[in-house]
Amino acid sequence: MSLNTSANNRAPGAITRKKPVWASPWGYAEGWLICLALLITGTALQLTIGGLNANALSWPVNIITGSIFTAVLIFSWYFLRRLPMVNWLARVPAAITSIALLTFLVLIMGFTLQEDAGNPAWVQQLGLSNMTSSWPFLFGMMFFMASLGMATLKRLTPMKGRNIGFFLNHAGLYIAILGGLLGAADLKRVFFDLTEGEVMWGAVDRDGLYYEMPLAVELERFNMEEFNPKVAIIYNETGRIVPESISQMFEMGKGHRGNLYGWDVEILEFHKMSGRIDGRFEPVIDYGAPPAALVRVTDSGGQQLEGWITSGSFMYPHQLLHVDHELAIAMTIPQASHYSSDVVIYTPDGQVRQARVEVNKPVSVNGWKLYQFSYDDRFGKWSSSSTIEAIRDPWLPVVYTGIFMLIAGSLYLMTLGKAPETEPDDTPALHEAGMPSPDKKNNTPLYVAAPGPDAERALKPVRKPQQEPEFEGVV
Amino acid sequence: MMPIDPTLFTIAAIVLWALGMLLFLIAGERKMVKVLAHASYLAGILVLAVFTWMLWDILGRPPMRTLGETRLWYAMFLPVIGYATYVRWDYSWILHYSGAVAIVFLAINLVYPDNYDRDLMPALQSVWFVPHVIVYIFAYALLAASAIVAVKGLAIQYFGLKWSWSMQLADNLVYLGLGFLTLGLLFGALWGKEAWGHYWMWDPKETWAFLTWIGYLAYIHFRYHKPNKTAEANWILAVAFIILLIAWFGVNYLPSAANSVHTYAQ
Repeated sequence: MSLNTSANNRAPGAITRKKPVWASPWGYAEGWLICLALLITGTALQLTIGGLNANALSWPVNIITGSIFTAVLIFSWYFLRRLPMVNWLARVPAAITSIALLTFLVLIMGFTLQEDAGNPAWVQQLGLSNMTSSWPFLFGMMFFMASLGMATLKRLTPMKGRNIGFFLNHAGLYIAILGGLLGAADLKRVFFDLTEGEVMWGAVDRDGLYYEMPLAVELERFNMEEFNPKVAIIYNETGRIVPESISQMFEMGKGHRGNLYGWDVEILEFHKMSGRIDGRFEPVIDYGAPPAALVRVTDSGGQQLEGWITSGSFMYPHQLLHVDHELAIAMTIPQASHYSSDVVIYTPDGQVRQARVEVNKPVSVNGWKLYQFSYDDRFGKWSSSSTIEAIRDPWLPVVYTGIFMLIAGSLYLMTLGKAPETEPDDTPALHEAGMPSPDKKNNTPLYVAAPGPDAERALKPVRKPQQEPEFEGVV
Repeated sequence: MMPIDPTLFTIAAIVLWALGMLLFLIAGERKMVKVLAHASYLAGILVLAVFTWMLWDILGRPPMRTLGETRLWYAMFLPVIGYATYVRWDYSWILHYSGAVAIVFLAINLVYPDNYDRDLMPALQSVWFVPHVIVYIFAYALLAASAIVAVKGLAIQYFGLKWSWSMQLADNLVYLGLGFLTLGLLFGALWGKEAWGHYWMWDPKETWAFLTWIGYLAYIHFRYHKPNKTAEANWILAVAFIILLIAWFGVNYLPSAANSVHTYAQ
């Protein structure tokens, strides 16, 4: 025998018979039926009255909804625990079946483009292209949250020190998800389309609606730095890079040299900003001045070709070096390494402050966070306009409380987590009186040794779970 | 002209691991051979670590941008985990398994050489970049090891093989792996808030990361409730790892990913 199953474990002679569905205590069968019922009801609602309105949960509806949901869980746990459903929600079968339902829905989401455009009509009607505002998703989430909340309550009282990891992970997840779901409608994202020298008091949202803002922003200057462009080999006709050469492309720089699709390519001169004078390029500092390089190409036969190339800019055309009738050496368009907006921020209290809004470095002001969103990419580093996104998320502290609890919980799980006693499994079958349920004892085989390639293991002592408690246990 | 040629380092690491694994197999009770096996296996890790450090230094950015670069870290961490597991719990097969997978990953990088360049898009220039990626790759490596435990268990079950095997090992690896996976996910959320303005946007990569996470969550709950149903637990582990692979490599190819913000990882 090599693997254990519960069947193997049953005491000889133990007669088991199936528990009728909906008889207490509930188990997996009830869980799957509930999933099915939620899916059917959700789909029916979706088809008849359509998807959910994401804005329906805005303040104060969201705080009321969240409080009632949590209060119902708490009330049920302390006063209605005798109900089979309440007891069941706090246990693993409810956790696993609700996880399965959520996994099923998110899996559909993972395969479906979350946008109406490009999806067939039936996908849109079922809400699959807009999963997070569909009825089945709402029901799935509520089931999951009810199970999660109830499990947290179950371990909360009586409070025990060893349950700290369990509490951090379960309550943390409950708080983070609840905060995220309820806060979604209160999240405001608007855009300041700024032009150098203009002060903007209002912003527009994604749908073009105008918002009066409690702050004004003026763009002083848009800044951009670029990486050096690369040298590439392209097809004359299409302008596309030869795919086999992509891994051989290298960065521009005086003296750089490499093999590109069989040609030896050397950069003799490189200017980050240049101007064309008499067929050659000289370094200049000027609006719209593109990078340029003098390259020397040598083929396998020793034949050489020399010429200037440039990526061009919005003001100047690009220039290639044709090596034969099919291929040419080209300079790629430089990629941005940093970009930022120097802005002046005015608030109604009369305060004026200067700030630099940069990618990954948002600026906070009056409950809003300002993000560098985009710029006019036609002009690249010469762009005189910049789009700043302003975001207000009043529920963020709630979500972050949950997230930091989860981080602490994960660290606990990895370092200190100790296995709690296995939850008694009294669900799948009713056993003869006096017969212990097979899963009641934690009798997992740790080493099942048999003669074979690893027979020497049989000589080693069987290890008990207590000996290796480092990262065990549902925490 | 590449700033650094990985070929020599890659081949050296592959040869050292292969040699180490071979020596472990034939060592038996010979002390000297065993010492050499340890030395060779560890030297492979060291060579790759030195290469990664040089690459980081030369590029002036963390080498974690492309899939090829994440394979490099994976190929470094997996043998570390395999070796640690071997030293700690004496499972020699996991040493061979991690070595073999690491060799496969390095071989992929040899066949499809990466273009190591210095470019790093501004969105990736953040203090969160390194912890987010490292923690994730480490979790992936641990969970890969747990998947192989599951596959071994399933093979034993269905082919009636007489191998020794332990669910306990899978549990240990999953607990540690899920811890790292959770940290990676949460670091990503905190970073997302700073970079894109929101901690969770159901971007396809996030959707699949969530699926991966919840898959392992299902496993630990199932193990806790039904410790004796090992076959089902093994299936959960195997499926969870397939979802993990989709999250890592497959997302870019899915129709749902047309608008993903994570596509720089090509």
